[in-house]
Amino acid sequence: MIQFLLKGILRDRSRSLLPIIVVASGVFLTVLLSTFMKGLFNDIIDMNAHFTTGHVKVMTRAYADNIAQMPNDLALIDVANLKEELVADYPDMEWVDRIRFGGLIDVPDENGETKTQGPAVGQAVDLLSPNTQEPQRMNMEKALRQGRLPKQPGEAMLSEDFAQKLKVELGEEVTLFGSTMEGGMAFKNFKIVGTVSFGATVLDRGAIIVDIADAQEALAMEDAAAEILGFFEGDTYDDEKAKEIVADFNAKYANDPDEYAPVMQSLKEQNDLGSLLDMSENMRIILVSVFVFAMSIVLWNTGLLGGLRRYTEFGLRLALGEEKKHIFKTMIYEAILIGFIGSVVGTILGLSVAYYLQEYGIDFSGMMKNISMMLPQVYRAQITPDALYIGFIPGLFAMVLGTALSGIGIYKRETAQLFKELEV
Amino acid sequence: MNTASIISIKNMTKRFPVGKGEFTALENINLEFGEGEFAGLVGPSGSGKTTLLNIIGSLDSPTEGTATVMGKNIAQLSHKESALLRNLHIGFIFQSYNLLPVYTVFENVEFALLLQNHTASERRKAVMDALEWVGLTDKVKSKPAMLSGGEGQRVAIARAMVKRPKILLADEPSANLDAKNSHQILKTMKQLNKELKTTFIFSTHDEKVMQYLDRTISLADGKVVKDELTVAANAG
Repeated sequence: MIQFLLKGILRDRSRSLLPIIVVASGVFLTVLLSTFMKGLFNDIIDMNAHFTTGHVKVMTRAYADNIAQMPNDLALIDVANLKEELVADYPDMEWVDRIRFGGLIDVPDENGETKTQGPAVGQAVDLLSPNTQEPQRMNMEKALRQGRLPKQPGEAMLSEDFAQKLKVELGEEVTLFGSTMEGGMAFKNFKIVGTVSFGATVLDRGAIIVDIADAQEALAMEDAAAEILGFFEGDTYDDEKAKEIVADFNAKYANDPDEYAPVMQSLKEQNDLGSLLDMSENMRIILVSVFVFAMSIVLWNTGLLGGLRRYTEFGLRLALGEEKKHIFKTMIYEAILIGFIGSVVGTILGLSVAYYLQEYGIDFSGMMKNISMMLPQVYRAQITPDALYIGFIPGLFAMVLGTALSGIGIYKRETAQLFKELEV
Repeated sequence: MNTASIISIKNMTKRFPVGKGEFTALENINLEFGEGEFAGLVGPSGSGKTTLLNIIGSLDSPTEGTATVMGKNIAQLSHKESALLRNLHIGFIFQSYNLLPVYTVFENVEFALLLQNHTASERRKAVMDALEWVGLTDKVKSKPAMLSGGEGQRVAIARAMVKRPKILLADEPSANLDAKNSHQILKTMKQLNKELKTTFIFSTHDEKVMQYLDRTISLADGKVVKDELTVAANAG
């Protein structure tokens, strides 16, 4: 019987083509939007994690309370010991210290007079240690627009826009004016060896990137750091694990009344990223639910129309001695088959376009010039293993639900009435 | 009339609800049909022919009285038992053939056997035999759209007969056919009736069909007004 019905499905296009198109379209959109949303949210979260939050972050309590001001006078001290402790307690994680600072960049002319100057936001990261992962983590090679990364102390990079604004050429020296950890005046000369563009307005606006040792020297922060960031192995955020580590670390300092005692926060606890992560999951659930609902309505109606067209066949099958229950069951089998074919077609199409978007992305930079949030400018889809089956949920479920709803109408009809419609 | 009774209808009445009242489609019917009969229910539209045929075919059940088909009381059958009765013992032929357009002639006839546990080779043999009875072995691969009206109805007869039912119910089988094709299919049915001892019951008001009947049951306003044996003008 199944083979017989399969022949009917393949030969009768009106029975299969429209439902397959509906299912494939819905699955295509589900897969595409789901992968795009996943990519979009993960890009935002990764960018925040790599540049500001880490997967977990250690600060002093006072610094954490005033984090928006980047208060380096409240930074961690005795960082080497603290990092040793962190490495010993959580050996699976990588720990890096960072300093963010504000200052003024002054560009002198050939006479040593100010040629141009502008306010800068500095990022001090470990660029020069032999095994440092920081340049890769911050995607610096890809972000490089001119020159090279710093290779020795005293070298720095500017953001491309900032360098153009200050009219700085590669090889020129600039002076950073800022304040030390103790509140004194700090200044240090840096040779500009490269320019970068990270693709996020907030990072590219007035940015200077220096090695952390240079920053510690300039800002009188020897063995001090504003933040120690922890990253999981494989660079994948694991919220459950992060919560455990945070709880464990903070428990050690729970009874310490010192406002400079270290405190750890997970990625979700910073910059409202928790809401973003939750929203990402909720949006995916809403998206799938909307498609299941919309497709079920369309397929319900398609099923009703198809069912009306097939009254002759159903009446005939009843006359030949087939039970109504069996007819209903075969309709569901057909729906599973059509839903499966539509889901495969939709998934292949969705993954193809998602792959293109994963490789090339969509550039929204033109619309984000004045945005101060840390958002990437090029949004890419991200294909993960769940993209292979996420479309099957709405595809198969909607097709079976649509057919079941329309089939119930046929199932409930009196046998004699259905039989009578043979003669219509 | 043949001896063994396979259909027995006693004091049967069928009413349908119409608005707040009821419409009596059949009233106090008493009929017996034996094996191998070639009988017809005749009468004008609304006389109750199709309702009676539906009850005999276990597609509907009586309101009062009993209808027993192949020893089964129709009123007491579950959906499953009714389906099984139709599957094993009853064939149907319709006015508009009701062939499934996406399937070939062979597949349309084979369809009737799919609910029974036959092997593919048994089905093939049975289908070819049935198509030979109706003279359509050269059309096995044709689709219904490629057949003439007469050929279409002959395929429908093959489909009804392929499982060798004890009873064949035909509702206005010649209504859509011209005189020549009507005679052809009636001759075919008459021959099958003789060879296979199948009981044929027609619902008709076509004079051409009546010429072939061995028994004519006249209905009017839901009542049997005449039940007579006839000498078929076109016998065999």
